[in-house]
Amino acid sequence: MSLKRIGFLLGKEVLQGSKTYFFVFAIVAPLVISLMLSLIFGTLFDEKAKLGIVDEGTSQLVAMTRESDSLTTREYGTVSDVQQAVKNGAVDIGIVLPEDFDNSIEQGKETTIKAYVWGESLAKHRIILAVTIANMVRELAGQEAPVEFEAISLGDGVSIPWNERLLPFIVLMAVFLGGLVLPATSVINEKQKRTLEALVVTPTTVGEIFTAKGLVGLVLSLFMGIVILLLNQAFGAEPALLVTVLALGAVMAATIGLLLGAFIKDITTLLAVWKFGGILLFAPAFIYMFPEIPQWIGRIFPTYYVLQPIVEISQWGGGWPAIATNVFILIALDIILIGVVVYALKKKEQYAV
Amino acid sequence: MNFRIVGALIAKDFSLFFRNRFFAIMTVVGLIFYLVIYFVMPRAVNEELEIGLYAPVLPPAFEQIQEEGLAIRMAASEDELKEGVIDGDYVAGIVLPPDIIDSFISGQKPTIKAYFAADTPQEIKDAVEVVIKEIAYQQTGQTLAIDTSEEVLGPDLVGKQIPTRDRLRPLLAVLLIIVEALGLANLISEEIEQRTIQALLVTPATAKDLFVAKGITGISLAFVQAVLFMAIVGGMNQQPLIILTALLLGAVLVTGISFIVASLGKDMMSVMAWGIVMLIILFIPAIGIIAPGILTGWVKVIPSYYLVDTVHRASNFGAGWGDIWLNPMILLGLDVVLAWIGILALGRKSR
Repeated sequence: MSLKRIGFLLGKEVLQGSKTYFFVFAIVAPLVISLMLSLIFGTLFDEKAKLGIVDEGTSQLVAMTRESDSLTTREYGTVSDVQQAVKNGAVDIGIVLPEDFDNSIEQGKETTIKAYVWGESLAKHRIILAVTIANMVRELAGQEAPVEFEAISLGDGVSIPWNERLLPFIVLMAVFLGGLVLPATSVINEKQKRTLEALVVTPTTVGEIFTAKGLVGLVLSLFMGIVILLLNQAFGAEPALLVTVLALGAVMAATIGLLLGAFIKDITTLLAVWKFGGILLFAPAFIYMFPEIPQWIGRIFPTYYVLQPIVEISQWGGGWPAIATNVFILIALDIILIGVVVYALKKKEQYAV
Repeated sequence: MNFRIVGALIAKDFSLFFRNRFFAIMTVVGLIFYLVIYFVMPRAVNEELEIGLYAPVLPPAFEQIQEEGLAIRMAASEDELKEGVIDGDYVAGIVLPPDIIDSFISGQKPTIKAYFAADTPQEIKDAVEVVIKEIAYQQTGQTLAIDTSEEVLGPDLVGKQIPTRDRLRPLLAVLLIIVEALGLANLISEEIEQRTIQALLVTPATAKDLFVAKGITGISLAFVQAVLFMAIVGGMNQQPLIILTALLLGAVLVTGISFIVASLGKDMMSVMAWGIVMLIILFIPAIGIIAPGILTGWVKVIPSYYLVDTVHRASNFGAGWGDIWLNPMILLGLDVVLAWIGILALGRKSR
C-alpha cells in the first residue's frame, strides 16, 4: 500500500468530492435533520404547559410567569396575536391582562381576565396554567400560602429532559449520515460509472482507493460530530476524550460505509438498505430516549459503544474510568470491521469492483 | 399514447423491481419499520394530573375538589402512597397531617409532605405544589377578586385527545410516499445514465408512453404502501374515500416532483442529494401536525401541506368533503402542473 498514492487519491476525493452537491449535503443535512428532530420530539413529549400573555398595562404577573418553572411563557403584543397563537396551538392558553391589573388586584377590585383556550390542549395543562396564574395573582394580592410544602424524592432515578434524550440520536445521525453514506455512495458511484475498473488497471490498488474514500468519510463524520456537540453545548469536561470517542465512532461509520459500497451495486439498493439498516444503527439512541425500555437491550447494537461514552462524558460528566470498557469494545469492533473490509476486498474483489 | 405499450412498460418496471428480491424485501421491511414506529408510540393520552392522597383527616376542600384534568386518588396508608408513587400510579403522593384542620383554624401553617419519584420533572413538582396550595387557599376561605371569561378556540378535545401515534399517522404515511418517490427518481436517473431509455425510444414506445408508465409505476408503489399502512393502523376508519383520494393525489404529486428531481441531477449521486432536499422540504408540513404552532401560514407554499392537512383532518377529526374540499382541488392543480413540468424536463434530458 503506497501512502503517496493514498494521499493523491485523498486529495482527489476532497477536491472533486467537495464540489459535489452530495458532499455539501452531507454537512447540511445532519444540521437540518437535527433541528427538525428536536422540534418534533422536543414538542411531542414536552410536559410543560404553554401560556400566551398580552399585557395591556405593565403587570408584574408577566415577569412572574416568565420566571416560573412549571410553564413556558410567550408574550404577544395584541389580542389578535394571542388568539392566533392559541388557534395554531403555539400556546395552550392565552390570557389578556387588562390595564391597571396589578392595582385592581392589590385593592381587591373585581377584575376580569380574558382567557383563550386551545381546543386540543390537555386538561392537565389547563388546570396547571389556571392554578399557577391564580397562585401568582394571590401573591400579587399579598395573600400568603396557608401551607408549607415539603417535596421528598423517592428512589434514585434521574429526570432526563427531552433535549438531552435526543442528543445521542442527533450525534449518531451526524456521525453516521456523512461518515457512512459518503464512502458508500462514492464507491457505488465509481462502480456504476466503471471508473473503479479504470483506476485498478493503474498501479493503484483497490485497498488504496477504499482507504482514501474511507478517510474522507471519517474526517467528515468526525467534523460533523464535533459541530453537533458544539451546537448543543454538550462538550462536557473532557473534550479530548470526547473527540477520541467521536473519532472511533467515525472509523466505525466509514468502515460500514465501505462495506456497503463493496457489496451494494446501486444507489437504489443502498437506499433500501438504509431504510432497514437505520434501525440497527440508531436503535441504542431510540432505547436511550425511552427509559421504560430495558436499557441492556441497547448493548446488543454496535453503535451503543459509540453512544454510551458520548452520553457519559457530555451528559453525566464522566471520565475515562466510566467509559474505558466500552471504549475498548468500540476499538475491538473497529478492528473487526476494518478486518472484514480488508477480507472482503481480498476475497470478493469482483464484487468490490 | 399506446396503452398496450404503456402496460408492457409498467409490467417491465414491476418485474425489474421484484426481480431484485433484496430491494423488494427491503421495501416490505421498510413498511414494517413504519408500522413498528406507529405501534410503539403511546396509544392513549394521559390528560390528568394524577395525585395520590393520604389524609387521616380530610379537609372539605380536598374532598370536594373536582377539576377537569385533576384526579385525586385516596391511599389507605403513607406506605401505600409511597408505593403508588414508586410504581408510577400517580405523579405525586400527598400526605396531609392529622391536625391540618386545627392548624388552619388556629392560623398556623401546616406542612404538607409531597412524595415524588426521583425522575419526576421539576415542572411537574412545581405544578403539584401550586395545585395543593390553591386547594389550601380555598380551604382557608381566601378568595380571589378575579373573574375569568374563557373561550375555547377550535374543537374542544378534552376527554377525546388524539394519541401521539395518531398524530404521527399522517407524517408516516406521507414519509412513505415521499421515500418511494426518491426511489423512483433514482430508477429514472439510472435509466438515463445507463442509456436504456434511449434503447427504449428506438422501439415503437414514445417518450410519452415511457413517462406515463414510469409515473404509473411510481404512483402505484407509493400509493399502495401508504394505503396499506393507513389501513393497518386504522387510519381509514374515518372518511376512507377522502384519505384514499388524498393519498392518490399525493402519490401523483411526489411522482411529478421525482420526475423534476431526476431531470435536475446529472448523476445518481446528485439525484439522491436533490431527492433528500425534496424529502426534507415536503416533510416540513408534517412537523406542523406533531408540533402545532411552530409553523405559520408560509407552510402553505409547500405542496405537501395540502396532503398532510387533508389526511390529518380526515383521519383524526373525521373532517368531511365540505371541510376539506379546497385541499384536494389545490393538490389536483399542483399535480397537473408538477407532472407537466416533470415530464417536460425529463423529456428534454432524455433527448
